[in-house]
Amino acid sequence: MKLTDAIKIMNQGPADGIPFPVTLACGFSPLHVQTFLAAQLQKTLPERKIRVQTGLYGNLAGTIEGMIPPESQAAAIVLEWPDLDPRLGYRQTGGWGPSDLADILVHSERMLQRLEAAIQRIPSSIKVALCLPTLALPPVFFTPGWQASEAEMRLCRGLLVFAANIASLPNAAIVSRQQLDEVSDPATRFDLKSELFIGIPYTLSHSYQVAAALGRLIQPFAPKKGLITDLDDTLWKGIVGEIGPDRVAWDLDSHNQIHGLYQQILRALAEQGVLVAIASKNDPGVVAKALERQDILISSDKMFPVEVHWNAKSGSVERILSAWNIGADSVVFVDDSPMELAEVKATHPGMECLLFPKSDYATAAKFLRQLRDLFGKSKVTAEDAIRLDSIRQSAALQQMVEEGGSPPEAFLAEMKARITLDFQGAGADPRVLELVNKTNQFNLNGRRYTESDWSRNLDDPNNFVVSVAYDDKFGPLGKIAVLRGKRIDRVLHIAAWVMSCRAFARRIEFQCLRVLFEHFDAEAISFDFIPTPKNGPVQEFFAGLSDEKPVTAVRLDRKTFDSRRPALHHTVTTNLEPIAI
Amino acid sequence: MDEINRRLSNCFRIVFPDLPESDIGAAKQSTLREWDSVTTIALVNVVEEEFGIQLDLDYLGELDSFEAIAEHLKTAHSLS
Repeated sequence: MKLTDAIKIMNQGPADGIPFPVTLACGFSPLHVQTFLAAQLQKTLPERKIRVQTGLYGNLAGTIEGMIPPESQAAAIVLEWPDLDPRLGYRQTGGWGPSDLADILVHSERMLQRLEAAIQRIPSSIKVALCLPTLALPPVFFTPGWQASEAEMRLCRGLLVFAANIASLPNAAIVSRQQLDEVSDPATRFDLKSELFIGIPYTLSHSYQVAAALGRLIQPFAPKKGLITDLDDTLWKGIVGEIGPDRVAWDLDSHNQIHGLYQQILRALAEQGVLVAIASKNDPGVVAKALERQDILISSDKMFPVEVHWNAKSGSVERILSAWNIGADSVVFVDDSPMELAEVKATHPGMECLLFPKSDYATAAKFLRQLRDLFGKSKVTAEDAIRLDSIRQSAALQQMVEEGGSPPEAFLAEMKARITLDFQGAGADPRVLELVNKTNQFNLNGRRYTESDWSRNLDDPNNFVVSVAYDDKFGPLGKIAVLRGKRIDRVLHIAAWVMSCRAFARRIEFQCLRVLFEHFDAEAISFDFIPTPKNGPVQEFFAGLSDEKPVTAVRLDRKTFDSRRPALHHTVTTNLEPIAI
Repeated sequence: MDEINRRLSNCFRIVFPDLPESDIGAAKQSTLREWDSVTTIALVNVVEEEFGIQLDLDYLGELDSFEAIAEHLKTAHSLS
């Protein structure tokens, strides 16, 4: 992005949008990083009014300690060596001799401790994005440039300990040095004249790359949820129908390691909650034998559904999406055939379709990392580990619904379903916000929240956030629903309500409202409903209670709800005593 | 208006979006409230991008008006 484009993007931001204030803490003149950061955030949040305020020149620690207002959505921190000790820069001449090194190290260590303490004091509602030093150290050490001195290594060790401590904070993220090195050539980052004349050490292009990296941490892309893979010459080398299940390969000795690495990353993705399915034109019996091989790196039970037949792959993909109950834009399709990719892409234009690089090793290395980037997330939760099992359960339940209209009453009664509503810890639970921001179908209004937006006003005793966990005799689904609202007299005003599609057809949505009515002794609940292109299940839910699809906010009184809701068979646990009003 | 002035006007429109069109040619740092030292740096970089040149930071203090920048482009960079 050019500076001209960045300024234009900033100028086009909505003047009346909801503010998105960000503090940029930077020891040098922040001008270009500030402009590019604002533009990057404006691009990802086009409806917000982005405001990037800066702090004190030459006083990074002071800015972090005293100039990040509580209403900030995020703090972007750009650390450079002179922030640790001015002698590690070019604007001051305090000494580069051997006798200065010990003091530089001591001073740097103290500054890192001060910075760490300051960052830890930033409220958890403010996202912290940190970029570690990206410029080369000046010639302060007595060793030749190609030799890393002990002092330099000690300095780096202190920095890495600091960085590891910051990375462990729940609200903090650190720019990947490795990825930044790929997009911003280390040899062209520094502009000495600009540093000495106007206090900006970064070239324009490096300013952009640092700002873009910080922006991605502050407002990350939504990770993909599922991957559909081909088999022959993709999951393994060879055509299994021709050479047989025992001769397809993925090992180093046969020079087919690229397929083994692909299996390995699929297994890792499955472990972090990514859904993996198979779409292959093949003989199902032969494929089943290949998938049973003991040396396969991703076991067949980690992949569901398995669509193996001779029909079009677009149809397989359609059925997989239906079983997963997610949209094509959340899914990646991998195949070694450009024709198959084109066929699927034509039917599902929103899907990311990737060619498996079966013989292009340079591309293969990028491909494996691209998969990490597409599915990358900051944290892996307990729900991630059980997602596939719950999808299988839902698919079975859904099949029952399709065959019989609805699950038989006796079946629901015998499921031994347990619902746990958490009224106390849900507001601060990162899984809760993740669920709110990624759920499309059963979503009251499609509204998305930043961490700061979400945590605002939660200390008001009339506001409440409830997370809902579910399990039955088939196993747990984990946290699958969230409600956020406010109590005004005996009416509850629900601002956010989402439920994972994995939990459909179990009447959990009815149980949630029943508990709310009872828990708050409410006479009515009003819902801040807004129809979206994807929230059909919410529309159907309300239509079932009032005979017509809603078009705007909905009010439901207790008598109507009690008379129209179906029988509920769950055992309910809450962690609060009923509130008397 | 010659080609340099036309392209330079584009740069001023980007950096000073609220500046009336009629005032661009007469814009001066001394009379334009939004034009501070930080804006000068942004303006210089936008001019560099527009003309594909590198302005010498030695002359930064002299680039304090539309007219001065246009003149600098013509003399120091032989643009026409």
